[in-house]
Amino acid sequence: MSLLVITVGLFSLGLYGVLTRRDLVAILASIEVMLGSATLLLVGLAAVGTPMGSHEGAVEATGVMVIVLAAAEAAVGLALVISVARRFKTTRVDELTEVKG
Amino acid sequence: MTLESVVFAILGVVAVSGGVVTVFARDVSRMAMGLGAFLVAVAGFFVYWGATFLGVVQLFVYIGGVLVLMIFAIMLVHRSPDGSPLLETRHDVAALAVAGGLFFLVVASLLDVVPDSVDQGIASGPAELNEAFLGPMLTHFEMGGVLLLAVLVAVVVILGGDER
Amino acid sequence: MSAFLDLGWSVVLLPLALAVVVAFSGRLLGRLAPAVAIIAPLWVLAYGVLSLVDGVHGSSRAGSVEWLTPGGPGSLTVGWAVDGLTAVMLVVVGLVATLVVLFSVGYMHGEGGLPRYFAALCLFTAAMSMLVVADGFVGLFIGWELVGACSYLLIGFWFTRPAAANAAVKAFLTTRVGDVGLFLALALLWREVGDLSYAAVFAAAPSLPAATVTAASLLLLVGAVGKSAQFPLQIWLPDAMEGPTPVSALIHAATMVAAGVFLIARAWPLFSLSAAALTVTLAIGGLTAVGAAAAALAQTDIKKVLAYSTISQLGFMFAALGVGAWGAAVFHLVTHAVFKALLFLGSGSVIHGSGTQELEEMGGLFRKMPVTGATWLVGAGALAGLPPLAGFFSKDEILHDVAGAEPLWAIILFGASLMTAFYVARTTRLAFFDSYRGDGHPHEGGWSMRLPLIVLATLAVGVGFAGSWLAETVGAHHGTLDLAVAAGSTLLALIGLFAGWKAAGTHHPVFARPPFARLAPLMRAGWGADALVERVIIGPVAGFSRVLYGFVDRKVVDGIAEGAVPLARGLGRAFATLQSGDAQWYATMLGAGAVALLALVSYLGRGL
Repeated sequence: MSLLVITVGLFSLGLYGVLTRRDLVAILASIEVMLGSATLLLVGLAAVGTPMGSHEGAVEATGVMVIVLAAAEAAVGLALVISVARRFKTTRVDELTEVKG
Repeated sequence: MTLESVVFAILGVVAVSGGVVTVFARDVSRMAMGLGAFLVAVAGFFVYWGATFLGVVQLFVYIGGVLVLMIFAIMLVHRSPDGSPLLETRHDVAALAVAGGLFFLVVASLLDVVPDSVDQGIASGPAELNEAFLGPMLTHFEMGGVLLLAVLVAVVVILGGDER
Repeated sequence: MSAFLDLGWSVVLLPLALAVVVAFSGRLLGRLAPAVAIIAPLWVLAYGVLSLVDGVHGSSRAGSVEWLTPGGPGSLTVGWAVDGLTAVMLVVVGLVATLVVLFSVGYMHGEGGLPRYFAALCLFTAAMSMLVVADGFVGLFIGWELVGACSYLLIGFWFTRPAAANAAVKAFLTTRVGDVGLFLALALLWREVGDLSYAAVFAAAPSLPAATVTAASLLLLVGAVGKSAQFPLQIWLPDAMEGPTPVSALIHAATMVAAGVFLIARAWPLFSLSAAALTVTLAIGGLTAVGAAAAALAQTDIKKVLAYSTISQLGFMFAALGVGAWGAAVFHLVTHAVFKALLFLGSGSVIHGSGTQELEEMGGLFRKMPVTGATWLVGAGALAGLPPLAGFFSKDEILHDVAGAEPLWAIILFGASLMTAFYVARTTRLAFFDSYRGDGHPHEGGWSMRLPLIVLATLAVGVGFAGSWLAETVGAHHGTLDLAVAAGSTLLALIGLFAGWKAAGTHHPVFARPPFARLAPLMRAGWGADALVERVIIGPVAGFSRVLYGFVDRKVVDGIAEGAVPLARGLGRAFATLQSGDAQWYATMLGAGAVALLALVSYLGRGL
């Protein structure tokens, strides 16, 4: 129960951040929180004995995959942020929606 | 009040505070530190549950890679004119409703599924991981490799473009 | 020659075709249009005459076509059959229509829209032929409705005049009320008999329940009352005088208004079985005869005199029907067609020549328009019932038959005859004698207007003697001349003529002495029938319409229609905020949708 609250709570927190933050980097950071908390839930469920999956190592492997994906996403995302910042001289979401390329 | 529950509690607190700081911090560096704390706590959880290898991977990749990358990006991007708060949050009832709604929904749905028993931990290690990746999750493994290659190319393309 | 007679449909189709031709190429034909148009009634006349010559006692040539098969008993057939009654009617219609078309050449000279006029006359001829030639109620009904439509078209010929347009609508609506009755009668007969052809209905009539027979007969009577402008549906005929005078002569004197009488005569095998219907017919006829005659006494417009006179004479015919003397009614129908058409065309000549319809502005026209004057005198005498003119014989037969059955009503009819003579004399003197009171240059019309008058005057003299032949042809009983009735009616006619003549000489077209002075305006207004209708029917309906318009239409309907705009704008504005261009807002909405869906699924499915 506490596992659920912590994990899902962190996920919701991250979601709120994604929907609410005004800076591109901050949004990316919130996404990381979401990803992390999701992985946490996955592994945690396995840890408390929720029956899932076939193979013993599947849970850890899945966790590794999530981390890989998160890293990939962060890399591309940050590259985009830097590109945007170079072009428009700002990373604030408010300003970015007004500008027409 | 076992050792385990204490550890669990500490990890939980650190994780949650880290998350809160990440989402609500006004200052970039504070946010980065919050994120870092959160990620460390997650790694701690992994180790606590017996997924040691995973915890180590988390530390290396996330913190050593992603977080460092983020800090580099921040330094490259953020030029703050005379210390005004850089990060704003547009607090929004709708977003709160969505996040809150999702929270309650998922918790309510998963409550029956999650047994309240004591953590048993995961009995796995690098060996099982290998078996998984070269067995049922072979495709995932290969695709992961392809993905990383693509990301590499993508980043070069995005950042190597004209600076005009 | 018999081969021609097999083409029974031709009396309908040829005029119909000519109507179309004249309507669409009238301008092309120009002055030839009436020449083309006149072929229609001529053919009808020829066909009727040929049929009579060929001998149509009771037998008939026929042909029929199955038209509709509505769910229910049998099917509706439309066909034609010519017997004595039909042939006589064809002759009447053809003759008067031909003369009217001829007359119109002179009368309507210079008017606009003539192709429409002559086409409508052709159409009317076709419709009237259909009505009389039909072998069943379906064909009759089609013709019935069509003559009503033509009447509308022709009364409202000068439709730019509001009075004319209103009169046309009034005529149509009033006869429509009657038509509803007719339709209900047909529906009833259809249900009970299953076949609306005359043969079937008349064969089944004796075995139908009495209630059905009476109901159907009464409903037929309603239709006849509407078409023949009897009480209480008489209000349209005086107003119909707004149409061109030749139209009044054809439709509202000789043919269409006679259709009501024809209907009952045609349906006699059924109608005669209902004593109740006969009694009502007699009452309506008698009442109308005397009421309309009284109204005619006080009119100042020559056409209105003739209009009320027509209503009154039709009342005589209805009264005859009411006592079972349908032969006498048909006889009077024929003679009336002749002399009333004569009088109307005569009045047309007067109007054309002196430029006015008001009796006050006429006078002394006999000297200025001798042909018109002389023929008018013949017609007037026939109307008053002076021997040996046509009207004498037919009216006397009616009086004799009514006296034999219902003496009380006979007295009323005698009174109407007295009044008839009175208004005839009055009108004649005011228009044709004494000195001219107007300020125009009255003159006789051309030969196209004089010839019809002469023809009709000749017939008005001679037709009276054809009484027994007519009765034999149509298959009715013909009574011999009753000297008592003849003497009595002639005496009354002379008294009435004398009194009317005297009344017209007092230099006041209306009665100056009380109590008539007070009554006269009321009588002139047709005993206030129009005012009554206005108060009882039109007033409430108009009031209701006003409410409907003011409230329902303006506030509710317009409110909804106009309210749609601010509503749409408001909604648009509301929804526009969703399109903020803010990606995070979109994402929030996305999330909201997803959460809602998830909630829905989990609460409906109890678990994901």
